Amino acid sequence: MKKGIILLLMVSIASFCVFTGCSKEQAAGKKIVVATDATWPPMEYVDENKNIVGFDIDLLNAAAKEGGFTVEFQNTAWDGIFAGLAASKYDAVCSSVTITDERKKTMDFTNPYVSIGQTIVVKKELNGMDKLEQFEGKKVGAQIGTTGAIEIAKFKNITLKTYDEIGLAIEDLAKGRIDAVVCDNPIAANYALLNPKYKPVLKIVGTPFTTEEYGIAVRKGNKEVVDMINAGLAKIKAKGIDKELEKKWLR
Amino acid sequence: MAKINNKTKIEVTDGVLIPARDDSSIFSAWRIAFYGAISVLILLPVLSPEPYCHIFKFVVGFNEDWHFDFGSSGLVKTFEVTVLSIICALIIGLLVGLGRISRYPLINRICTVYVEVIRGIPLLVQLFYIYYALAKFVKIMDISAAVIAMAICYGAYISEIFRAGIQSIPKGQMEAALALGMTRSQAIYRIILPQTIKVVLPPIGNEFIALLKDSSLVSILAVSDLLRRGREYASTAFYYFETYTMVAIIYLILTLFFSRLVAIMEERMKTDVNQG
Repeated sequence: MKKGIILLLMVSIASFCVFTGCSKEQAAGKKIVVATDATWPPMEYVDENKNIVGFDIDLLNAAAKEGGFTVEFQNTAWDGIFAGLAASKYDAVCSSVTITDERKKTMDFTNPYVSIGQTIVVKKELNGMDKLEQFEGKKVGAQIGTTGAIEIAKFKNITLKTYDEIGLAIEDLAKGRIDAVVCDNPIAANYALLNPKYKPVLKIVGTPFTTEEYGIAVRKGNKEVVDMINAGLAKIKAKGIDKELEKKWLR
Repeated sequence: MAKINNKTKIEVTDGVLIPARDDSSIFSAWRIAFYGAISVLILLPVLSPEPYCHIFKFVVGFNEDWHFDFGSSGLVKTFEVTVLSIICALIIGLLVGLGRISRYPLINRICTVYVEVIRGIPLLVQLFYIYYALAKFVKIMDISAAVIAMAICYGAYISEIFRAGIQSIPKGQMEAALALGMTRSQAIYRIILPQTIKVVLPPIGNEFIALLKDSSLVSILAVSDLLRRGREYASTAFYYFETYTMVAIIYLILTLFFSRLVAIMEERMKTDVNQG
């Protein structure tokens, strides 16, 4: 019995050493943990094999390879993603984050890596409405806390419905519970033009009505990580890798 | 009316503590929590209007000039869902509760299976199921889907309360009614159910409070209730701590307020039974 306890103690001490060793290695080996809300195809989503894939993922991995650091992605719900960043649960958020002045107050951004715009998705049979102000008095959906939701909220007479995931908003649009969805144009294109389930029922109207740039969000004042990622991004831009990835994911 | 056993009381296993006046420790704890929560709710917006005052206005549904906006109020939505759900749940619960004591094996079996199935599925899963899965066949709007799901779930629990309540009425009541020449259904509607209501009201009040708390789950269906409004505010303004503090305090005040109401009701029911 005594032997068993001693053995148990030794094992626990040994495992403790291993774990602390690991965390030390992380700090020295330039490994950063990056949160992403993998519900935003084609920028970041979970594929059939339960891997997180997408444009953002490939881009940051390429930047990491060039910049000499490694990245570990962590799937996180969008509406608490910046709270986790502030609470140091991870080092960065790479999840189609638009750089806005409001967000700059609470976090730092790397250099922008791609520019997009907000687009309106409606049902196929809806004609003659291609501007957001035409939807006054109607229900328009967006993902909670996204720039799409912020744009809709500017119109007091539009009933804004916020969803935890953009996919649920698109599903409600297809079911006719809401009249339109506002989201980033790559995502709109992915659902309305490529997705076999929604392609026959949904369409994109008008042209993107905002110009926004994605950046990687980093905790306020964490200059080390910003510089590290910026250096990596600069290198892949010089090599033209970002253009290749845009071709691969955004078409 | 014959004397009812005064010890008749349905055991409540979950839910909040109901503060009766004669239970001094819980009652004083209730007072501390209730008045503490109210003073925090008042003090925070007064002492630091930015962001607490904004959060309060946004969540409860006031616009910039303190005009109450009925349509965008999270508080009104929470009450709407809770009250509609409890009404539907009571109807379902009474029918199923009666079905559970029915002498017809088929009705009895159907009701028992319903209770077993519903109690075995988490409410969150039921909400998703009714909103997204059943949308394949029928189009249900958001509030109705939320109410239907909550009513079906709580109907199962309330039916158990009704069943226990009906069975707690002494057998002699039914026998006496039958001896007076009433039919079985007459006896149930005129003799048994009126007495049952007194016994089941306090536990049903408790279920109402539990439902009020669980109504925060419907925020997942994009129903803009208190919690959803709070999340909308926090996700764009990044005041997470402040927002969820306010939301928690508003919920706390509501549940404490209603638990006291239930306690008062219970006290009045008690004296009523004694007189009868």
